[in-house]
Amino acid sequence: MYKTDVRGKLIDGEKSLSQISQEILAPIDAKVPKWWYIAMGISLVMLALGVKSIYITLTQGIGTWGVNSTVAWGWEIINFVWWIGIGHAGTAFSIFLLILRQKWRTAINRAAEAMTVVAVFCAALFPLMHMGRPWLFFYIFPYPNTRGPLWVNFNSPLFWDFMAISAYLLISASFWYFGMVPDFATIRDTTKSKIKKAIYGFFAFGWVGSSREWLRYEGLAFVLGGIAAVLVVSVHSIVSTDFAVSIEPGWHTTLFPPYFVVGAIFSGFAMVLTLVTLMKKLYKMGDFITENHVDAVCRILVFISLIMGTAYITEIFIAWYSGSEYEMYTFFKNRITGEYAIQFWGMFIFNALLPQLFWSRKVRRNLWVVFVISLFINLGMWFERFNIVVTSLSKNYLPASWAEYHPTFIEIGFFIGTLGMFSAGVLLFFRYIPQIAISEVKMISKYNTQQTDHLKPGHHHDYE
Amino acid sequence: MITNRKYLVGVFDDEHTLKDAFQKALDKGVVIEEVYTPYPIHEILHGMKNKTNITTAAFFYGLFAVVMLIGGMYYAAVVDWPLHFGGKPFNTFPSFIVVTIVATILTITILTLFTFSARAKIFPGKKEEIIDIRATDDKFIILLDQDKMGIDKPEVTKLFQANGASEVYEKESN
Repeated sequence: MYKTDVRGKLIDGEKSLSQISQEILAPIDAKVPKWWYIAMGISLVMLALGVKSIYITLTQGIGTWGVNSTVAWGWEIINFVWWIGIGHAGTAFSIFLLILRQKWRTAINRAAEAMTVVAVFCAALFPLMHMGRPWLFFYIFPYPNTRGPLWVNFNSPLFWDFMAISAYLLISASFWYFGMVPDFATIRDTTKSKIKKAIYGFFAFGWVGSSREWLRYEGLAFVLGGIAAVLVVSVHSIVSTDFAVSIEPGWHTTLFPPYFVVGAIFSGFAMVLTLVTLMKKLYKMGDFITENHVDAVCRILVFISLIMGTAYITEIFIAWYSGSEYEMYTFFKNRITGEYAIQFWGMFIFNALLPQLFWSRKVRRNLWVVFVISLFINLGMWFERFNIVVTSLSKNYLPASWAEYHPTFIEIGFFIGTLGMFSAGVLLFFRYIPQIAISEVKMISKYNTQQTDHLKPGHHHDYE
Repeated sequence: MITNRKYLVGVFDDEHTLKDAFQKALDKGVVIEEVYTPYPIHEILHGMKNKTNITTAAFFYGLFAVVMLIGGMYYAAVVDWPLHFGGKPFNTFPSFIVVTIVATILTITILTLFTFSARAKIFPGKKEEIIDIRATDDKFIILLDQDKMGIDKPEVTKLFQANGASEVYEKESN
């Protein structure tokens, strides 16, 4: 709880409620800075490259990719899992920290949720394109039709995955949106521009902040929060079953679901850290996202990093302990040493070792170091997925079918395109949407003074 | 809102004075029409004695979804189009669980959102009925209907002002 002196303040400076709205809404009213246009331009160029790659894939087929019958899953699945992992931060932030009564989440949850929605969009593109004939994607919907066996295979993890991702996208988007409704009403009621009043007024859905609205709003948040918590765990567990139910060496392991879920939250939090450091520096949100907030995310990352390290070592240990020569080969000859050693050690160093620097308070309080480490964690998590997908597939049981995999320019362009789409989405978010949940920050502003009443006898906790 | 009602609006600057005045007004038997705040305040939500059954509704949506999903998959796999996979049973129930969980969550979310939208009357295209435009920014508003408040105007004005109201004014709805 933020009631002790240990954690420090939630908001820097003594701010009145109207100051809170003004300062959070400042980027929406202010003149758009030059760097924004430059960044947007670069993002759109990247996105254009992605669109071109998708066009070539659509017109010429999957043959334009580097995948082959041995390594049938290449960068597309790596990038898919990577983006979905990043997309876990929003719900993890909003839900887990809500359940754990962490009040500091209020400064960050909006950005994390926005990022989630964009990241899941990016992720969904990859399996869609990997279908080969994406215009027939609706074949995965279970509906009565006239094509052979009439139903989809309800036992297939790929179908589960489709369900999980569509549900996750819809739920995180609606959770994000309804969180913003009161803030849109604040913009509607405080802005001087008539156009903004009309547009944000429309999106505010007639919100006025009456007790009837707040009562049901809280009920809705409780229901969505409660069930979306299950989703955080289930989505990436299901993604992991795409791998774990196969018999490929290195994939066929019961460790995969927790390992994937923790990895997803790890990469998501790292991306959140990247974003909030940018928000702090570029938009001067430092009063709301204080050093203490960054510090708290870093502490979580140390903890998750230890779990990641444990998972990596467990995998290696089990490979040896199982006595299976294929497992041994995959881990010791193909990952730790061998042609994919760079990716393996990249993964291990960036995910398990580098974040240990966060044990030091000095590192946690140095924004630039935090920013750089967060980027390295994102890279490390990409290497992890590369490691899992490519090393297991390229050399499995039968040496005659071994094959190498190299991404083509089309695949690289596709990935760059999604990076552009992500940054364009985030830039639009910075520009048009309150970056921090205004009503939630107002709610916690009363806890802002450092309180010591928990020391008094008979004190009861005033949660939320 | 019914047209041409006369309201009395009490404006408060912070949560504590609002809660104080709200409680004192309730103790005096004042009938409070509505309270507008920039963020939810539990004492107010509790004191207004409104109840929401949105969580109960969500539970039943979930129950409905579970029955429909398991029933639907059973129908597809056993009744409508059974497939032979080397003598495996048609009803592969344990592997239906995953889809059931995910799709149940999706059903609950969508139906609860619609319930919220209908019950809280928050929907696209709704015209906002603003009493005091500052209520979404930094003011806390208590709204009284002058015909039904069960107390004299001067008395309640005094009560509000004694408990930290920054303004008390009259307003007519149109």
